[in-house]
Amino acid sequence: MVKVSDINVGQVIKNKFDGITRELLREYAKASGDTNPIHTSDEIAIKAGLKGIIAHGLFSFGFITKLFEDFLEHGSFGKLSEIAVDMRGMVRCGDLLVTEGKVTKIEGKRVFFDVTQKTFTNIDIKDTNGNLIKQFEAGERGYISEKDIEQGLVKTKQVPEGILSYRERVATPGNAVIELFE
Amino acid sequence: MDDEEIKKNADFLVSYLSGKEIPGSVKLSVRYRTLVDFAKVYGITNPKYIGSEEEGIVACHAFANNFTIKALYKLLLGMKVVQEGKERPFLLNPGKLLHAGQKYDWDGCVDAKPGDRLEITAKWGKAWVVEKNMIFFADLHVEVKNQNGEMVVKPTVTAAIRPGGY
Repeated sequence: MVKVSDINVGQVIKNKFDGITRELLREYAKASGDTNPIHTSDEIAIKAGLKGIIAHGLFSFGFITKLFEDFLEHGSFGKLSEIAVDMRGMVRCGDLLVTEGKVTKIEGKRVFFDVTQKTFTNIDIKDTNGNLIKQFEAGERGYISEKDIEQGLVKTKQVPEGILSYRERVATPGNAVIELFE
Repeated sequence: MDDEEIKKNADFLVSYLSGKEIPGSVKLSVRYRTLVDFAKVYGITNPKYIGSEEEGIVACHAFANNFTIKALYKLLLGMKVVQEGKERPFLLNPGKLLHAGQKYDWDGCVDAKPGDRLEITAKWGKAWVVEKNMIFFADLHVEVKNQNGEMVVKPTVTAAIRPGGY
């Protein structure tokens, strides 16, 4: 049971999704009716200057609504009143999507959240001498920009195969309001 | 399209669109199978959203994406503007259209259910251009009502159009 008295400012709720594939985006396109081919055809996305297909903006948004639906146990403890987001970064196949809601304010039974949806995009894995061991789609297709590098969004970490380069960025910042029953 | 034409079109749209209603409406039927297929994309397993047709289900919140986007495309792709006395499509290249922001307001709204017939209307809000990259932005305030006139959701879409698309 989720009650207002159980919630604290600063509390964080989170979900993760690492299954973004071309097939899933095709399924989403069919189910959502958003058939813009930049989301399903690499050829057309490349012609549009995007280097490869991008996820529908609202595809990743759905993981934000799911975060709150799960938290409210599908309407058992309250309702989702409002969500507003900016779509700042393109989300692509292979990205790990991490969605977080952080409680910023509680007014009566209304709970306010800051929402942050981050993407983690693998680029490549190199050995300690800089030799390429594995390249991911973002590395092959050049999804990482100079601006990403300048802004310090490209990071490295040790993984079993070598040193992984990846980009971590906020793709979708925003806020949400829920209203609890108790 | 050269830079001068892009700037001219951007300036025109910023002054032309703000506050303007998009003529007409979009009518959509909500189907059980579509609701279930949509919820399954997100791995939703709760019977409230994917249960049997006989017992009844409602749309998950993200399903608002479905009718918002369908309406957006139908309304925007069909929209004409009159610039310098000549009628032209609002979107010159739909491939340049991006989704920059989204808001859904469900306060006082009812769930969408299979069998609903939704009517969607829209009105332009603020419009602006980021001069650095000449991307044109505009807020579109949408209302989605069911067959009983009850509000289902009030979305606000921020559309972005890259140069050459407007």
